[in-house]
Amino acid sequence: MEPIKIALTKGRTEQQVVPLLEASGINCQGLKNKGRKLIFNDDPRYDFILVKGPDVLTYLNSGTVQIGIVGSDVLDEQENSQYAMLNLSVGKCRFVLASTADFNPQQQRRKIIATKYPNITKRYFEGIGEDVEIIKIEGSVELAPLIGLADAIVDIVETGNTLRENNLRVYAKLQPVNTKLVVNRLALRQYQPQIKTLISNLQTADRQAVKSKLIRE
Amino acid sequence: MKNKNLPNGTRDEFGVQAEVKEAIQMKLLGLFKDRGFRKLTTPVLEYSDVFEPLSTDNYRPYQFLDEQGETLVLRPDLTLPVARVMSTTGVDLPVKWYYSGDVFRVKRRLSGSYNQTTQAGIEIIGYKGIKADWECLQVALSGCQQMGLEDVTVEISQAKFVDTVINQLELPEPTRNSLKMALFDKDLNRYQSLWSPLVHTKFEKFLAEWPWLFGDFDQVIRIVETLPRSTELEAIIKDLIATKSFINQQFPNFQVTLDLSVRSPQSYYTGMAFRGFTGKSADYLFSGGRYDDLLTNFQKVKVSAVGVAFDVDALVERTALPANKQQTLIYFDDDQWQLAEKKLQEIPNSTLCLTQSVQAAKRLADSDGNKLLDLTEGRSQNGTN
Repeated sequence: MEPIKIALTKGRTEQQVVPLLEASGINCQGLKNKGRKLIFNDDPRYDFILVKGPDVLTYLNSGTVQIGIVGSDVLDEQENSQYAMLNLSVGKCRFVLASTADFNPQQQRRKIIATKYPNITKRYFEGIGEDVEIIKIEGSVELAPLIGLADAIVDIVETGNTLRENNLRVYAKLQPVNTKLVVNRLALRQYQPQIKTLISNLQTADRQAVKSKLIRE
Repeated sequence: MKNKNLPNGTRDEFGVQAEVKEAIQMKLLGLFKDRGFRKLTTPVLEYSDVFEPLSTDNYRPYQFLDEQGETLVLRPDLTLPVARVMSTTGVDLPVKWYYSGDVFRVKRRLSGSYNQTTQAGIEIIGYKGIKADWECLQVALSGCQQMGLEDVTVEISQAKFVDTVINQLELPEPTRNSLKMALFDKDLNRYQSLWSPLVHTKFEKFLAEWPWLFGDFDQVIRIVETLPRSTELEAIIKDLIATKSFINQQFPNFQVTLDLSVRSPQSYYTGMAFRGFTGKSADYLFSGGRYDDLLTNFQKVKVSAVGVAFDVDALVERTALPANKQQTLIYFDDDQWQLAEKKLQEIPNSTLCLTQSVQAAKRLADSDGNKLLDLTEGRSQNGTN
């Protein structure tokens, strides 16, 4: 059987997920000392590739990888149609609507909202019956209300430190974000026993990690 | 001309690849015709209302307005136009159709997906019994066999199974629905939290395994047998087992799997559904099933229907492209057309060489590694012997 190809979101997700992968019995030597490499095949059962979050679904939908590990923010924004089978306990954060202290959510005009996530923003405001103008920003979204580009932002918050340091306040909490294991629909059928074992081992490792974190705290 | 690029999601097909695709289509159409199916061709353009029953989770159709302001679409599917034909033309039932053509689905921009793909398939309309389902399977698997595909897996599912089981569960209606969605999406965390009130009931063993209730046929049936008996369930299982035996008998080399945890391909499916894939394919090779509700969107009378369609592009992907065969170029003088024509008929894989000089003919043959047959050899410059 050929190894299963897994696309792992590089950066913070990768750092948080590698210990879980290791705890579930996967050899992650290469991933831990990766240098500039992007493909890792230390464990004969799996080939890992490191990609940016939004690209995980592109690989997964084309069938070139069988599994993706990516934040639910990316899946929600791109309207995923593959199987998001497992929530991992790492990388938990939340979408919020944030702005400066003088922002008035009840203001009587069409608000301008800056965000990296236009679809999620659109769905949120549609849900509360409001029409807003959305400006897509690629990074440092916090700047938008400070500089006057937008009235408020929709962005992901983990600890809230970045918001506080930039004198921004949370006006509404939107959906939570977590890290998910996503499986290509056809690949799940082609590699059923292997994927079942991987998921079961990861579930156990994840539960163990949550337990030991609770004990530490 | 400023814009000579292809629109997003489209491609040209030429040379060997296009020829392989054509050969596959011809083989499939020959198979349908030989089994007594009749040809049905529908237009590429339809009113968007025709496709209302279609669930489109990862694409949308190309849309336009006609001169009256009605919304037209490039057809995203070939089954619903058949339903339209059946409900508007008064064709006598029962009937067996075959069709082939392109469908258009706008997928995510710049994702490497193609928006125009080719399908070829059959629709059997007006037959209630399982023989019609089996005829579809026979056609689908004969098609795969004729393509020389060895490692085909046929996955059978049943549109009624999930609801039959869900309706037996003692859960409030909204929870039942959420459980069904979590099962279909294979969202394990959500699924587990929703069925937890039924731990220690007679459904426990089954519910614990349900999201994984696909794959090896006998293993899936063994888990289904832990469920409390019901006549409805037994009828479903009986048909599935009979179908497996049918495939095993007709196509002993193909593997049969069962999936009882999957959403129906479309909302109008009412019975067995089946799909085929190989170990390496990135797409299903064929997909079909029974849809007795197909026509209910168009008319009040329910009509039995079952069909299957091949994804021709997926078949091309799984077919090894033949190596370029050496061609014979026939070079001749203007007054030798009849002789050249005769040679063209005699020599396999030959073509007329239309260059104006023998030197140009030699260059052309050399550059492509082809043979040259010079009919002017031995003739004088003025064209006589």
